[in-house]
Amino acid sequence: MTTLTFFLLASLLLLAIGLAGLITRRTLVGMLISVELMLNGAGLSIVAAYKSTAASDVLGQLATLFVMGLAAAEATLVLAMILVVHRRFGKVTTKEISLLR
Amino acid sequence: MRMDKEVVNPIIDTILGSITSGLNSLQASMEPYLPELSWVAYLAFAIYVLIILAGGFMSILCRNLVRAMMGLVLTFLGVAGMYLLLASPFLAFMQLLIYVGAVCVLIFFAIMLTRNVSDGEEAHWPTLGALGYGLLALLAPLGVIGPLIIMHAGKIPVQVPVENPTGELGEGLLSDYVLPFELISIILLVAMAGAVYLAFRGFGPEKSKRHSK
Repeated sequence: MTTLTFFLLASLLLLAIGLAGLITRRTLVGMLISVELMLNGAGLSIVAAYKSTAASDVLGQLATLFVMGLAAAEATLVLAMILVVHRRFGKVTTKEISLLR
Repeated sequence: MRMDKEVVNPIIDTILGSITSGLNSLQASMEPYLPELSWVAYLAFAIYVLIILAGGFMSILCRNLVRAMMGLVLTFLGVAGMYLLLASPFLAFMQLLIYVGAVCVLIFFAIMLTRNVSDGEEAHWPTLGALGYGLLALLAPLGVIGPLIIMHAGKIPVQVPVENPTGELGEGLLSDYVLPFELISIILLVAMAGAVYLAFRGFGPEKSKRHSK
């Protein structure tokens, strides 16, 4: 057991909690929260792997910065989609929005 | 009974000193298994894991979505602490700035614009079957990836993280990794334009045309 293992297990916890939330949440907003949890776990695992081995520190930190930027872009788009779905269906539960046209 | 400061202070000193020396000797006995980090680092790591766990379960179990978002903020703070432990304070700062400052505000807007506050669509618990699937989804990554992580522990040499100056990140962005840097700005621009287009599509002159069909 090294320190890297501890950090990787912590990010695995984030992934598992986010996946469980993605399954159990009914609304798109709750699912967005769970996805953010999983993205955080990904960033943490990248930084831990690059910082505590001989790999380049700069590459790891920049990769996590890119993950953060992608998460921000994704949250923006999902907010717009939630607005459209809410205007169209009046609800944002996943059961209601099964109509494609 | 009132005790003087001169009496109390040496007692507190002795207690704290014995606790510190006990932890130090405990760490010395664990030396072959754990790398040469101070026990303070392990204590901070345990606290951050507890914060992450509390925030994570709060954000997937709270029926009120605003409380779930506060749990998400708690998790972000815990992960920022992890970044500090990994000797990358710039990332911890960016975590607070981007996630807590921007993403959480977006999620708050999403909650408020869909009126999902306390009596919204998440207000009652899901069925037992859905909770069972959720438990399965919680245990599946832990059961599949967790043993892999533990099995592969110690196969590559691990070093204690060392802080590198923030200027190196900027140099990397402008020299070796300039293509991802430009790509992420294009992605952000496209996402922003797409969001504006999606959000404003229902208004304006084409609205009446769409609704008359």
